[in-house]
Amino acid sequence: MTALSVENLCVKAGNSHLIENVSFRIEEGKIAAIIGPNGAGKTTLIKAVLGLIPYETGSVLLFGHPFKHNNSHIRVGYVPQRLEFDRTFPLTVSELLRFTSPPFYSFPFHKKRREREYVCRQLEIVGAHDLKNRNIGSLSGGELQRVMVAKAIVNDPQILFLDEPASGVDIEGQERFYDLIRRLNKEKGLTVILISHDLNIVYRFADNVLCLNRRLVCSGRPAEALTDEVMKSVYGEMMGGYIHSCHEHNQ
Amino acid sequence: MNTISELLAYPFLQRALLASVMVGILCPFVGNFVVLRRMSFFSDAISHSAFAGIAAGAILGIDLSLSSVVVAILIALLIAFLSEKTTLSHDTVIGIAFSGAIATGMLIIGMMKGYRRDIFTFLFGDILAITTADLLLILIFSILTIAILLTFLKPFLHITFNRDLAKVEGINVRFFEYLLFLIIAVVITVSLKIIGIILVTSLLIVPAASARNLASSMERLFVLSSIFGVISGVVGLIASIYLNTSSGPTIVLVSIGIFFLTMLKRARV
Repeated sequence: MTALSVENLCVKAGNSHLIENVSFRIEEGKIAAIIGPNGAGKTTLIKAVLGLIPYETGSVLLFGHPFKHNNSHIRVGYVPQRLEFDRTFPLTVSELLRFTSPPFYSFPFHKKRREREYVCRQLEIVGAHDLKNRNIGSLSGGELQRVMVAKAIVNDPQILFLDEPASGVDIEGQERFYDLIRRLNKEKGLTVILISHDLNIVYRFADNVLCLNRRLVCSGRPAEALTDEVMKSVYGEMMGGYIHSCHEHNQ
Repeated sequence: MNTISELLAYPFLQRALLASVMVGILCPFVGNFVVLRRMSFFSDAISHSAFAGIAAGAILGIDLSLSSVVVAILIALLIAFLSEKTTLSHDTVIGIAFSGAIATGMLIIGMMKGYRRDIFTFLFGDILAITTADLLLILIFSILTIAILLTFLKPFLHITFNRDLAKVEGINVRFFEYLLFLIIAVVITVSLKIIGIILVTSLLIVPAASARNLASSMERLFVLSSIFGVISGVVGLIASIYLNTSSGPTIVLVSIGIFFLTMLKRARV
């Protein structure tokens, strides 16, 4: 089944196009990476798909249905590029995850205990069980990313959108993070759409790649779609050799 | 000098004490959202908008509490609507609505003849003048408001934390934001008679800000803010009787005293 179908999507800011006539499909259970230079419209694309910004023309279907925020048929997880929140917000990790935990119908005390147990299990999945009582503002970049992934998967989503999820995280943290995403993809059949600047990551973890530069430049399996010509046209001359080394390294 | 138990034999003081406890719980409970969402200017604008409602009620000969609630709700919805539909910043929209409401109120008051004590009761508040009907009104609104907030606490907090995440995860952000604006408007107008237009915002934000100085979790924030609100109300009321000062300002000054104490505690941590 097609998890995400985008047809002729155009997003404008004033008179200029941020995204122009972008069409693609992502099949269920796949990991798709969106790459492109800065200002290519990657975040705009995800935000338009998620209905966070309006689009001029085109259509977006998630699992065959238009995505509406109050539509309970489709469960979506989202980890934004930069989570904008007040660092002094008096909120523990456990409380944050309970915002999205499924409803437990029980007596108040019992309900709270079940919610806590559920949240603990989600944190264990992402290896962040020890963070449950920490204040959200006190977390490091890597810890926050793991918590945000735990939050994104709390309501058992069918599709997960990750906007540069590992930016600002050290190399070891990135490895752990993408291993986790791969594990969730394999174990739960979760469809993942992620934005990344790291072509090594794209080669290693993505089933499909979409190269965006306001328009869709190419799409397909990374080894096939990301040719020297495509990368040079998008990123410039310097990228040709890099692509070659990524490709060889990951074979 | 009378002891507290002797003073509490007076029905008007019993009512005042009950009112201060109820408003002491209600205002900070809602005030937590005002502080977390940085809506102090909004709540200030709503309380001052109630002035236009009171003036309109006085000239039309209708109940001042009712007219102030209606106008405050209308102004709150107007601010929410204009913020959503225009490219103007939220504080600019509030500034326009705020000054418009004050100007309207002053214009109407200027057209009236004679001195209206009841109008000034709303302006400065008089907890000792609370009637049993007022008390009942505060009780009903307190139960309703806290029940709504507790029922929808998760979506309200989620939106406060991050709107986009809340939206993607299926929360009707628009509905809950309008609902919160409505609740703030109602709570402010319900509390007006106790603390007055000029100072009502402080009862909303000061106990919540004090609690924020100490709380590391939402649960603690809500509990502490209500405790500070009740202490401010009760201690402020009793102090105002012994010191023979106005009750409203005394309650506010006690809450500000608590705020500075929590600041000291925070600085030590």
